[in-house]
Amino acid sequence: MDEAKKKYMRKSEIFTFGIGLFGVALLTGWMPDYTQTFFADFAFKGKGFDSSVISTNISTVFLAAGIIGAVIELVTGFLIDNTRTKLGKVKPWIGFGSIPMAIIAMLVFVAPNTNNQTLAIIWMYVVYSLYTAIGCAVERPAECFGALCSPEPSERSSAISIASFMKSVGQSGGMVVVMVVGLIMKAVMGQQQFKNAEAQGLDLIISTAICALGFILFVMIFFVNNKERVPFTREKVSLKDAVKVVFTNKNLLMVSLTKLTGFGRGVYGTVSLYIAIYLLGSKDLKLALLLPMGIGTAVGTLLVNFVLKKFSTKQTFILFCVYGATSLAILYFVATGIGFRSALIVPFLVLNFFCGIQHGNTNVTPNIMIADCVDEIEWKTGKRQEGTAYAGYGLFAKVASAFTKALGPWLLYTWSGYLVSTDANVAYAAQSDATLNKFLMIYTIIPAIFVIFQGLPILFYDMVGEKKERIVKELMERRAAAAESTDAENAPESE
Amino acid sequence: MANKEKEFNYKLYGTFAVLIVVAALVALTLFSYTTRYTALDPMKTAQTYVDTIVQSGDGYNAYKNSLLSLDSKFGDFIRVNYIYPEIYENYTPGSSTKDLKGLDDKELKGEKSLNDDGTLKGKVTDEMYPFFLSLVQANNGFDNYDAIFSGYVKKLKEVRKQVFEDDYFDDEAFFGAFEANLSKYGESLTGCEDEFDKNTGVQLKKASKGAYQSAFGDDYKLTVKALSASDAQVPDAAEYGIDAEISEAKTVKVQVTANDKVVVDSIDITVVKIGHSWYVANKSCDTSPLYTFYKVG
Repeated sequence: MDEAKKKYMRKSEIFTFGIGLFGVALLTGWMPDYTQTFFADFAFKGKGFDSSVISTNISTVFLAAGIIGAVIELVTGFLIDNTRTKLGKVKPWIGFGSIPMAIIAMLVFVAPNTNNQTLAIIWMYVVYSLYTAIGCAVERPAECFGALCSPEPSERSSAISIASFMKSVGQSGGMVVVMVVGLIMKAVMGQQQFKNAEAQGLDLIISTAICALGFILFVMIFFVNNKERVPFTREKVSLKDAVKVVFTNKNLLMVSLTKLTGFGRGVYGTVSLYIAIYLLGSKDLKLALLLPMGIGTAVGTLLVNFVLKKFSTKQTFILFCVYGATSLAILYFVATGIGFRSALIVPFLVLNFFCGIQHGNTNVTPNIMIADCVDEIEWKTGKRQEGTAYAGYGLFAKVASAFTKALGPWLLYTWSGYLVSTDANVAYAAQSDATLNKFLMIYTIIPAIFVIFQGLPILFYDMVGEKKERIVKELMERRAAAAESTDAENAPESE
Repeated sequence: MANKEKEFNYKLYGTFAVLIVVAALVALTLFSYTTRYTALDPMKTAQTYVDTIVQSGDGYNAYKNSLLSLDSKFGDFIRVNYIYPEIYENYTPGSSTKDLKGLDDKELKGEKSLNDDGTLKGKVTDEMYPFFLSLVQANNGFDNYDAIFSGYVKKLKEVRKQVFEDDYFDDEAFFGAFEANLSKYGESLTGCEDEFDKNTGVQLKKASKGAYQSAFGDDYKLTVKALSASDAQVPDAAEYGIDAEISEAKTVKVQVTANDKVVVDSIDITVVKIGHSWYVANKSCDTSPLYTFYKVG
């Protein structure tokens, strides 16, 4: 068997890596939205606080937490790259960070019993910032693990794509938890008592406990079963090295830039409620609208793994971008062809599924590319920097997300000419045809353009083919030589 | 090297981590549950009941802590006893409506019902408000729920028919109009602030001054506190149409204070225990002073 194709991971490890990411996503996917709901509606219910002051502060809490998260992400990446323990490089972060993370996540939903509004606001800032910081220090290493699970790129790619699929499932897991918790509470307490408990946010508190329990359980399964199989390099990574690698390694920068150039892909989320109301006829169809897309994303995440067996990461990424833009364009033309009437519902939802498939690519392929970039960086500098590489990508993703959050509402409320209802009895005012068409464009054509932009940096990505094989081969040789010449005890967990 | 790695016992640590987190989660969840869920404590149950009424004159939602909501949602209690009898001709409270044909048949919807964007629905709500107000005033609050709900449903059917020019009627019509009227009534007490659409800045509502503000000042604060609980006579479960066993009853003294200074009302609330939960025995309580305390002095 060719050395480059040797299997390093036990089959169970591929699965438990996915289980670990599922567990992390179960909690991190649950927290932001439900924390916002808890802070706004339940944490200080009946305390007589000024609701406008509280809601303004909630926005700022999340802004502050975002900034703290970005900083902690980079710091964690830097620290990971300087972590050298017998347990490995990223595993200590995951294993030892998960206990405080689970407990702090739960503390977010235990509001202090105070009548002092200032104290309540300070508590929101402190507890959520603390959660964000500890969350970054666990979530980022968990993602980095993909680059360390195997030195063999194809085995690593499979593990990353399966784990990415399970992660994307985990992100929606909280919605299932809260639904099941609600059903059980109703059965146990009776309908009205459940409603009363729900009005105090107790279903959210119990659901958080269950998500945190799932998190610790699944992460520990991963922690116990999985091993880092790429030995860490000996050279110390300085802060300068860390910052430099994010912005000067061409391939890593190109992968990170996809986030920035494609930032407008996500604006469809802003308009989805209005698409459901004005184009499909009912706001209840918002969930129906997002469900086929979610299923499409899950299918796409699995599909990428198969496409990667035939094509390089670069080809796969570009292929999915072309596909994504085409499917969105088709959705636009079909919708305008049929017109905004009930006959549009079924084709719209079906095409939504096909539009969702492209998201599988953005969930998986960049993570595999970053792992390849880490190899390239090690090959060039002798320093292996998973932490910084994934943190850099995460930082670009956070900046892109901020742009999306700014662009979406601007497109929807300003560019489209949206008319708000001023009649208390009319929830949604009638919109002109031009506005409705712009809604559709925000959902389809504008994301399609950004999907194309997203693919552009990848045209300059070259860690593929012969170059990638050569680098991997040379790294294998270097590691073998290093293992022979140094005391084997210094290497972490390599078999 | 392999021997040294074995020094760290992954399985033991994993088990320890899970156990410690489980213990913390259970403790925090129980703490939250007992501090937030009012039905486990007779004083909190009574206090919540009074507070709901006092803060915005909402005797309707207060019933969600009462024996009327023991077996089902309070909304279902209203559906079964007041709305369905008006929708289905031969309806018996408690029976299934699945096979019944009534006024909620969509075929009864006329042009105006089919094409309404909310404007006519709003008109119905606005026309019902004076009637709602007269019901609350005539009954000194919501204690006589039977007169309020039956009177409101009957009147609503008439008004809806006039406005929409068809016979269609459903439970949504009741809850939409009644809750909107209740909210308006609440604002007449508490006042309201200017409201703007958060995305476009368009003004949706103008500020108004409420009766509470006139009585206690613009920045008034009403505090409701349960002071004491004493044993009370257990009421007859049959009076409430329930077959559960009432194990205990208490009378809770609840005080209402304005601006942390002036005691504006004090009221006795009877609560009963069924299973582990406490409920307000609404038929044993007179909450009428809670709808007028702001008028005194």
